[in-house]
Amino acid sequence: MNEYSIGALGVLVAPILGGLLFGIDRRLTARLQARIGPPLLQPFYDVLKLLGKAPSACNNFQVIAASLYLVTTVLGLLMLLLGQDLLVLLFVVGLGTVMLILGAFSVKSPYSQLGAQREVLQMLAYEPLLVFMVVGIYLHTHSFSVSRLLELDKPLLWSMPLFLLTQTMVLGIKLHKSPFDISGSHHAHQELVRGVYTEFSGPTLALIELARFYEVVLILGFNWLLWHTVWWAGALLALGSYLAVILLDNVTARLTWSWLVVFAWVWGAGLAAANLAMRYVGLARIQ
Amino acid sequence: MNLLAQVSMVPTSVLAGVLILSPVAFGLVVYAVRTKWSRKGMVSAAGWGLTLAALCLFTKVALTHTTQAFTPDLAGRLTWDIVIILLDVVLLVWFFVIGAWLRNAPIMLLAAAQAVIVGAIETGLVAPKHHAEALYVDWVTIIMVMIVSVIGSIVAVYGLPYMKEHEKHAGIPEEASRRPRFFLTVLIFLGAMNGLVLANSLLWLFFFWEVTTLCSYLLIGHDGTPDARRNAYRALWMNMVGGVAFALGMLVLAAAVGTLDLQEIVGRQVQAPQQPMVLLGLGFLVIAGFTKSAQMPFHSWLLGAMVAPTPVSALLHSSTMVKAGVYLVARLAPAFHDTRISSVIAVAGGFTFVCAALLAIGQSNAKKVLAYSTISNLGLIIACAGLNTPLAMAAAVMLIIFHAISKALLFMAAGVVEHAIWSRDIEDMQGLVSRMPLTTVVMIIGILSMLLPPFGVLIAKVAAIEASVVMPLALFLLVIGSTLTVVFWVKFAGRLMMADPVVVFPHVEHLHSMYFVPLLLLAAGAVVFSLLVVPLLTELVIPAVAQYYAFMPVRTEDILAEGNVLGVPWPFLFGALALAVLLPVLYSRLTRRRCTGAYLCGEQDSQATVTAFRCAGEVTSAVSVRGYYYEQYAGEDLHTGWMTAASTLLLMLMLAGGWIVR
Repeated sequence: MNEYSIGALGVLVAPILGGLLFGIDRRLTARLQARIGPPLLQPFYDVLKLLGKAPSACNNFQVIAASLYLVTTVLGLLMLLLGQDLLVLLFVVGLGTVMLILGAFSVKSPYSQLGAQREVLQMLAYEPLLVFMVVGIYLHTHSFSVSRLLELDKPLLWSMPLFLLTQTMVLGIKLHKSPFDISGSHHAHQELVRGVYTEFSGPTLALIELARFYEVVLILGFNWLLWHTVWWAGALLALGSYLAVILLDNVTARLTWSWLVVFAWVWGAGLAAANLAMRYVGLARIQ
Repeated sequence: MNLLAQVSMVPTSVLAGVLILSPVAFGLVVYAVRTKWSRKGMVSAAGWGLTLAALCLFTKVALTHTTQAFTPDLAGRLTWDIVIILLDVVLLVWFFVIGAWLRNAPIMLLAAAQAVIVGAIETGLVAPKHHAEALYVDWVTIIMVMIVSVIGSIVAVYGLPYMKEHEKHAGIPEEASRRPRFFLTVLIFLGAMNGLVLANSLLWLFFFWEVTTLCSYLLIGHDGTPDARRNAYRALWMNMVGGVAFALGMLVLAAAVGTLDLQEIVGRQVQAPQQPMVLLGLGFLVIAGFTKSAQMPFHSWLLGAMVAPTPVSALLHSSTMVKAGVYLVARLAPAFHDTRISSVIAVAGGFTFVCAALLAIGQSNAKKVLAYSTISNLGLIIACAGLNTPLAMAAAVMLIIFHAISKALLFMAAGVVEHAIWSRDIEDMQGLVSRMPLTTVVMIIGILSMLLPPFGVLIAKVAAIEASVVMPLALFLLVIGSTLTVVFWVKFAGRLMMADPVVVFPHVEHLHSMYFVPLLLLAAGAVVFSLLVVPLLTELVIPAVAQYYAFMPVRTEDILAEGNVLGVPWPFLFGALALAVLLPVLYSRLTRRRCTGAYLCGEQDSQATVTAFRCAGEVTSAVSVRGYYYEQYAGEDLHTGWMTAASTLLLMLMLAGGWIVR
């Protein structure tokens, strides 16, 4: 199987996987809250229902923003599967997030504006953590490309253990899970209006939901990279941090944006920097 | 083909003469013949002349593949060297007179100090005089000449209608118009910048360096208001400190190396590196570069410079002035390759990159945000020069090119907006998209071209981060800085785009053709050059970098290696993104979609023409939203003190760098 068929297969399978993961989340969260919860396939039903709605938006740019969000996320996944440059991947995916934010900014609605401002702060919180992880990978392979990483015969986790923690944090922020869910939450008990997503509706929102299916797979793909030598070990690692984030979501509440930024920069970036420093020192000793 | 061959026959010295002297000549005509048509005609003619000459130089070097140092002849025993010395004397006397006129001792002292040092060098007091070739042409020079000539000319043309409106608004009658003086200064400025990038003898470079200082002083103070005068004075003394540092650098180098030939200094240093005295000389020159490029702790003059009319800001920030500083540092980079001071320069640049980005978050004045962004990006370029690897230098050259295009575009668009709403506050630009859709779209293109892939600035930024992996501290600063950059740009763009829901596309505003064409040219340039990023790199930037590091092999495939930013299939990415934009546009053309109002928890007043809440007692309350500026975290007052102290410390470390053992 050549890399292009892997890419094509990934683009087809990823949304199914992502939707199922969201389904599991909703079931699990419901059980933790002593509810029965929706069917496992509910996320797919949601997207189908949204697609069937009459198109409506506040302006044309919103539709373009949602479409760019979806396309860049798919591109990001594709770049990961095709073994491309990880740093460029991050910025391509970042483009999608910026578009989502601008789409929310483009409507004069207090809720959407607030959500957009906070999504910017979320980006500020997680972006350095992802870049540091990519740099950590470079320090092992002398390349930013995924394909070189896959040639490595030892899992990264042994020398980059702290990145498992930072990646879990990134996952929590990206999935809008408590206590990191400042720009929009799934839970009605702490969010009446859907923050940055407030002004997206109908098929436009369906595009965003679909993009989020891809997104969760993409971020978990980063976790998988920490133990790529045994495919199921990497998958377990990814699943483990996903479950940890769900559990955390149910035992904590939303905190303030300033807490998030400080926490991510002190603890997240701090751990990442410490791990990188260890690696730099190790490399210097070898030389 | 025949034409190209003829072009390559034109002597380089003639082209250099046109690039440096023709704008001055056109400027003098503008000053002497005070009519509207002479102004329009001469400024346009100067623009075309510069552009053509730059293209000829480009073609010539592309066809003949030669880099050369040369000294143009004048007449008999009167050489250009003597002319430059005489002009130098005139210039320093002028500075002294300005100081006397302002009754300002520091300016007089700085002018005198420069005169004494340059005099000591010229008379051979320090070291026997050694012949230095006056000018030098290689790919980096040509890239700089193209930026100065093309973008500078576009800004000058844009200045024509702008200055007219500007004076009308200020109530200055046509007879008392100060526009002839303005355009004379602008054109001299462009000529001096071309001279600066073409110069090979440090004495020549110093002369043009001081001319740009004088021009920026005159342009910043153009309006003559107390505010303008104060800021012009600040720009003057800070840049004269840089001038003194430059002169000191020349002095030390003349004593330690024995020549003021830039290529020779770089070449010798490479053969026998790391003599502390030479590094001290280079350190002084780098400090001069820092003042001109408004690096911390010298950044305040560029912020003050925004009181000037917008064409001045567009000029200072994009193609001239600040680029002179980074150009000098980048030009010297091979000379301090693999030394301690190179690392300090990388950290100092990275430090400015982070600090300016942080301070930009706290600003609500659009021009100030743009100014901080310039300072920040120049810091990034300096950091690349300090990292001093082929990849980093390729990133630096790319940043110089793309930043010039995007920043000229942004300032010019901001100027158009300022003349429409007579405010620079981002809050007043809220919802600009529904009032001035065309200008807003141009501005958004400018903003996005500063921070998103696949635009050139971002590609260069990724390359810079990849190059910084060799130096953890610089890496840390670059990562933090790029994240902060995203915050202030997105906030800015968000304010512009916020609008009440609309059914029909808003009325497109009418723009003066001399506004529209320059904006269109630069917006197209930002997009087209980004599309062509790979050929631009392989054909232009990498040859330039290879000439730079003549002492080590630089192979294209190393820089374009797979797994590297430049190895990504950018055209494919561009295609996918274009599709993502076009499909929804097509879709909304084909379908009739409902236009909904903003969600206001069911209390939306559907009768109101603006987004409004329905309140108790049938009262309607319009929604008002403000931007966030996080002053309690990113305020200037909070940070300026320690940032100045820290950056001053870094500069001292840089000067002492030669003596610190590796």
